[in-house]
Amino acid sequence: MSNKKLPDDSAITQTSTRNHFRLLVRLVCLIGAVLCLLPIRDKDALLAIVPALSPFVAVTSILATKTIQPIFGLGLITGLVALFRHRWFCRWACPMGLCLDGASCLGRRLKRKPFQTMSIGRWLLALTLGGAILGYPLFLWSDPLALFGGLFLLTEQHQLLAGVVSFLLVALLLIFSLLWPHVWCRGLCPLGAFQDLLSTMSRSVRSILRPATDLPGRDHSGHPVARRTILGLLMGSASASILRITGREPSQPLRPPGAVDELTFKGLCSRCGNCIRSCPHNIIRRDTGQHGLAGILTPVLTFDKDYCREDCIRCTRVCPSGAIVGVNLDNKPDIQIGMAQVDMNLCLLGEDHECSACMRWCPYNAIRYVFSEAEYMLVPVIDAEKCNGCGACEAACPTSPRKAIRVFSKVKAS
Amino acid sequence: MKNQMTRRDCLRIMGMSGIGIGTGLGIDKQLLAQDIGESGFQSSVIATNKVQDNRSNAVLIDGKVIQPRRQLPVLTETDVLVVGGGPAGIVAAIAARRAGAKVTIVERYGHFGGLWTGGLVLLILGHIAKGPKQVCQGIGEEMMRRLEKMDGAIINRRPGSNPTVDAEAVKYLMVEMIEEAEVQVFLHCWGVDAVTQNNSLRGAVFESKSGRQAILAKVVIDATGDGDIFAAAGAQFEHRSHNVGLVSRIGNLDRIDKTKTSDTEKPKRLGSATPVRGINWVNLTGPEVDGLDLATLTRMEMNHRKYIWNKTQKVRKVPGYDNVYLAETAPQLGVRITRILNGLKTVKVNDIKNSTRHPDVIGVGGASNAEHGEWQIPYGALIPQTVDNVLAAGRCISCDIRMADLVRLIPNCFVTGQAAGVAAAVAVRDRCKPRDANITEIQKILRQQEAYLG
Repeated sequence: MSNKKLPDDSAITQTSTRNHFRLLVRLVCLIGAVLCLLPIRDKDALLAIVPALSPFVAVTSILATKTIQPIFGLGLITGLVALFRHRWFCRWACPMGLCLDGASCLGRRLKRKPFQTMSIGRWLLALTLGGAILGYPLFLWSDPLALFGGLFLLTEQHQLLAGVVSFLLVALLLIFSLLWPHVWCRGLCPLGAFQDLLSTMSRSVRSILRPATDLPGRDHSGHPVARRTILGLLMGSASASILRITGREPSQPLRPPGAVDELTFKGLCSRCGNCIRSCPHNIIRRDTGQHGLAGILTPVLTFDKDYCREDCIRCTRVCPSGAIVGVNLDNKPDIQIGMAQVDMNLCLLGEDHECSACMRWCPYNAIRYVFSEAEYMLVPVIDAEKCNGCGACEAACPTSPRKAIRVFSKVKAS
Repeated sequence: MKNQMTRRDCLRIMGMSGIGIGTGLGIDKQLLAQDIGESGFQSSVIATNKVQDNRSNAVLIDGKVIQPRRQLPVLTETDVLVVGGGPAGIVAAIAARRAGAKVTIVERYGHFGGLWTGGLVLLILGHIAKGPKQVCQGIGEEMMRRLEKMDGAIINRRPGSNPTVDAEAVKYLMVEMIEEAEVQVFLHCWGVDAVTQNNSLRGAVFESKSGRQAILAKVVIDATGDGDIFAAAGAQFEHRSHNVGLVSRIGNLDRIDKTKTSDTEKPKRLGSATPVRGINWVNLTGPEVDGLDLATLTRMEMNHRKYIWNKTQKVRKVPGYDNVYLAETAPQLGVRITRILNGLKTVKVNDIKNSTRHPDVIGVGGASNAEHGEWQIPYGALIPQTVDNVLAAGRCISCDIRMADLVRLIPNCFVTGQAAGVAAAVAVRDRCKPRDANITEIQKILRQQEAYLG
């Protein structure tokens, strides 16, 4: 004990070497994360790694979807290690943490006082987990790995706006770290708070099992933490149930195939941008708030240029939170994205023009042109059994600026 | 100058003022004698008490109508016989002639152009691929350029846009081009049968006012649109239904007083502009039916004409639209797709998706509105699987059901017509079957004829 209070020279050298080694590891992790997230096609597996490492995302997803996906494994392993090694992920691996630590160091050199007291992250965590139980994880989007992944949307030309939004978010955190060093890691980060919770739990369990053993670190009675956590969980569940009752948005956006129900999706989506970056046809965009504030930055489908191909399930493979699940190439025709609808005021057939674009490009033979004796013209009729809302018709429709045939979410269509 | 009439002017005036009246001067008598004929009357007797030559009319035997076997007169012998004078047929004839073959073309109506002119399908769709890039070149593009030089023949002829032509200008131009190319022509000549020998075409049979006759040829190009000739020869095909409509033209659209009606009351479906001022052409898609069924075709003609007349009457009742009138309904019914050849190769919709490249490419198609990329047409899509010495051109070439609506568009008929013409000429020159014709040579000549092959 005394050694720790008064470290000798060798201990200082040791600590310094250890710090250098840790910095090196963190740099390697940062570079690795960047490489994984850079836009090189055909590397879905790599793309999924970074956001999937978060145990916060994994546990929330299990609670929200009541299922276990293979992709949650990574996060669970991280969480398992965190039970025994307090905040190991923050100290050794977190790419976001390293960036913010850089800003914090600069802040400390500028004589800013390090952030010490308030812990919002714990509340974010508790509210999210509480909400997840009822299918609406409130603050999953604040996961640092998802925020970090979002940055890489800047590399996608068609996603520039979304990339800028993500960039501004991270830039804001950097400025905060400059002004109040370590504000994110110590005060705001729900992933950090989750690791805190995990190690507190494990310590409590271990102290019950081996009461004589003197565990290092501050003496936690555990009770205030537990009380706060339970309160947070209850509040999260309460707000999620309120959202469930009141949260029906008037216009529902189109989600990637296999998306969980709309309300859950808004919460469960960590906004990591993986699906957006994995889409080879660039039809997934970030919602910029057209469908209500709750769904901001979530992925929505746009069919103005291309459509959701019948031979592609890439976005469903890279979702770290299980918000997009359960699609394979066999069942893809049955996975409902939405339903096509024709506006005869815009359709070329309504003006007797020669056009068969939507029928030609429908991969599921869901469109037929039926001759109406009364109108004496052809009217496109969509077979609701066959149409899965893939958007091939919308992409092919030659009318501009508005497409005559468009896919709407099933709720509106029915 | 104006007062001094030349002899020609004088004659013209004489002629116009009535042939019967202008008999006072000897010089006119001499000139008009040819027109009047020997009898001195407008009509003259060619033969008296005549019985039809070579007649072998059908007879009723035991309640069955029997057509006796008979020898048919051979009207002519040629290298390349083109059946059908629509966009595909005309271009095929010109291309084959330019490639050095002796060519005969027969057409069932009294004019060239098929559905383009007789069907009043005046809008040129399908020659522009995504980009926009014009993929229809060659003789089709030459026609467009020549129409451009004519007065009032074509509008909207801009890069990346779909032009609209005047039907009469096209009919005139086609006569001009066919005459320039020195192609032998028979109009009013309906190809009804194939002349075959050992599963190979040797010519075709025609029905006309001159009776049933045959034309013998080394290669026959079936540009009938319905595949009448390859079907008669026993080639395999797919019989499909499609929409059968009727185009019309309405006039006085420049005399509408739009101030008299509110926007919501303004009539819709008034078609789109043509080179003639105030005249629109109005498309009609019509129901999906069998375009080879006589009763159906009859019903379509009658129903469509009733509808078009009644619709125009409704338009005329809208305040401000009372001057609008029905200028004409197309002489020819708008049959889109009937028989589709089962060819050695097939144009497939996935060719567009995958940008498939065919080694035997003979032409490239575009999109209706430049909404997708170009697609190559393989030579094999013009060749029947089993029957020899016949090539399909135009809307009846081998294609999958999703591509038929692109294949049938006018520019693509130009493209397949030109290819069929060149291929036929090459086969004649090299004394081989069209399926064995040297594809490199065909492609070389097509390129010389400024066709675009991707």
